[in-house]
Amino acid sequence: MLQYLIILLDEASTPFCSLTPCPSDPPTPFRGRKEGGLIPLETLRQGIRFGMMENLMIQYVYPDKELPKEYLEVIESIDHSKIRSLPLTPPKEGGTEVDVWVTESIKDIKADVPVVWRTDKQSLFNSEADIIKALENVPRLNIVLTDIETFIEEDFEKYKSLLEKLSKAIEQMYVDGKAPQLNLLTDRMMLSKMNNCGAGDTSITLAPNGKFYVCPAFYYEDETDCVGDLEHGLDIKNKQLYKLEYAPICRHCDAWQCKRCVWLNRKTTLEVNTPSHEQCVVAHLERNASRELLNNIRKHGSFLPEQEEIKEIDYLDPFDKRDTWQ
Amino acid sequence: MIKEQNEPWQSGMAKSITFIVTKDCQLACKYCYLVGKNSKERMPWEVAKQAIDYILDHEDEFREESVVWDFIGGEPFLEIDLIDRICDYLKQEMFRRNHHWFNSYRFSFSTNGINYDSEKVQNFIKKNINHLSIGITIDGTQRKHDLNRIWKTKEMEQGIQPKPEEEKGSYKDVVRNIPLWLEQFPNAGTKVTISSADIPYVKESVLHLYSLGIHEVNINVVFEDVWKEGDDKLFEEQLMQLADAIIDGGYYQDYACSFFSEHIGKPLDAKLDNQNWCGAGKMLSIDATGNFYPCTRFAGYSLRSKKPIIIGNIRDGIDQNKLRPFLTLDRTTQSPKECIDCEVASGCAWCQGENYDAAETPTIYQRATAICKMHKARVRANNYYWNKLFRKLELEGEREEYEKSKKKSNEVIC
Repeated sequence: MLQYLIILLDEASTPFCSLTPCPSDPPTPFRGRKEGGLIPLETLRQGIRFGMMENLMIQYVYPDKELPKEYLEVIESIDHSKIRSLPLTPPKEGGTEVDVWVTESIKDIKADVPVVWRTDKQSLFNSEADIIKALENVPRLNIVLTDIETFIEEDFEKYKSLLEKLSKAIEQMYVDGKAPQLNLLTDRMMLSKMNNCGAGDTSITLAPNGKFYVCPAFYYEDETDCVGDLEHGLDIKNKQLYKLEYAPICRHCDAWQCKRCVWLNRKTTLEVNTPSHEQCVVAHLERNASRELLNNIRKHGSFLPEQEEIKEIDYLDPFDKRDTWQ
Repeated sequence: MIKEQNEPWQSGMAKSITFIVTKDCQLACKYCYLVGKNSKERMPWEVAKQAIDYILDHEDEFREESVVWDFIGGEPFLEIDLIDRICDYLKQEMFRRNHHWFNSYRFSFSTNGINYDSEKVQNFIKKNINHLSIGITIDGTQRKHDLNRIWKTKEMEQGIQPKPEEEKGSYKDVVRNIPLWLEQFPNAGTKVTISSADIPYVKESVLHLYSLGIHEVNINVVFEDVWKEGDDKLFEEQLMQLADAIIDGGYYQDYACSFFSEHIGKPLDAKLDNQNWCGAGKMLSIDATGNFYPCTRFAGYSLRSKKPIIIGNIRDGIDQNKLRPFLTLDRTTQSPKECIDCEVASGCAWCQGENYDAAETPTIYQRATAICKMHKARVRANNYYWNKLFRKLELEGEREEYEKSKKKSNEVIC
């Protein structure tokens, strides 16, 4: 069921998930974004109206630039959350507080709201110390890998090793009475069912052109790949395929923290409901590291007593176990 | 006592690898799903060799017990020289590498039968007779066959269709080769395709094929959305008449027709009977440029409205990620609720390629249901057939013997 409407306030709004650029895209601070302008004010008003009528929680995705005053008034006309890039010029007036910061640099970040760090694998593997430092300075850190599809065996090993090191650091923070949140390691400990991106199922995106898209990545990749518009409403063909029950691999999986990015699915396997091998292995390395973390924290005392143990498994890709559920 | 369909060779244990050796054909059958046939795209030897080298080099990726090397067109025997060279190379290489497929392979062909008696084709058959399956397509009586299976003209290549009176059927050019074919392959079956215009000729066509000495008629309705109002009723009537003719004439003892199966028309359990019907993805198809497809139906020349699904090529190998959707596809995930709840679901087939081609989005997960009413008509006639046949067997005291000797299932999965 749809719950969220993501509104891109500008054609160059901040990418906040795994969207990667076309090779031909010119380099920009945030890869994948388009050159362009603000969403027309009337389109924004209509989008908000649509969200209100459909009972959707609105999430605005900001560009790097300041918005004109008339936009701020319209934006504030409805309850919402804000996603924008970090750093940002300090707000001059009220009403521009942020709910999620997005950054492409992990160095010296400090915030009192959750931070999304978009990174490629190479930067990630080299940033152990910066990540640990960041965990001390933000209430929550979401690390979003932008090049999962390029992982090879060597990268899986490096990722596993990094997660082990981060797990040790987080364990110590818990022992010290802190409660850091790192999506890759702490989410799975807290979850009791799948908690994925939800694009096309629980969320939909409105682009500045007045058309709906499954998520921002679909818009950035191909503007014609829309699923309706403000004039005619939503028209998501085969919308069942965005639901977990219609994802043969995922519905048998317990790497519940996996982003299950439908855009990346389609890019790598040509189907929105089928993850790539690389996506599955990355998610299972996180799952297994979460298992170790949970077990280790519990050695220090009672921790999340209502949460079931994360079971030990002998695979990293549920696809390899398909004979057991087919 | 009752002839059942022969199972395909090494059914379920063999990898099917298809070479699209040409996209050309002498015929222009009206129901042909190959919308992009042409005389230009012929497989070069270098591409075929590189494909073979890739496949045999990667034995660990092809673990099936056996292999069916399949050749398709257009009309494959137009490229008999290339095919002969490919088969010689395959045999040499499988032997040289001590590959596990050596001595467990078949060469398979579906041909229109027109140049079956040519010297080159006959020499090839004699050379490979012990490892060969050849199916000649003949659609039934001359009027049924010639209704669809007509000769291609030069004008057609430019998109100009002949007037009905100018169409030239191919029946006589095919039927003359049937005796030779049956002499060489006595157990061979033929494949008959039924489209809307063919329905009135179903009964006479099956009986005609029996009269030619063909004991196994594999017949199916096209999956495409071609059906008109009332076609199901007409189809049902034809099958009822065919049922009467087969039973009253005693043909059921020595002849099989795939329309009638004891195992169709039952509800299917959403969990226990959840396997995919189609084998796309478990097969491999290679075109003239060296691209790999999960089945020939996903190559560009087979698709009306979608992009081809290319899963790799002879240079870079197979992209295993592209195969994942095919290998995890099950019945219920791709079926609408009406199919999951259908009380006569068993035996209702689908083609993954047609599903993809007809889908509202580029997905293999949307089942096309164009044949729904035709399947239901088949089920009604099929019920009639078995009720009538069983009663006859009971009256003749042969029912018990049949129950003891029957196979578990004779549904053939593509």
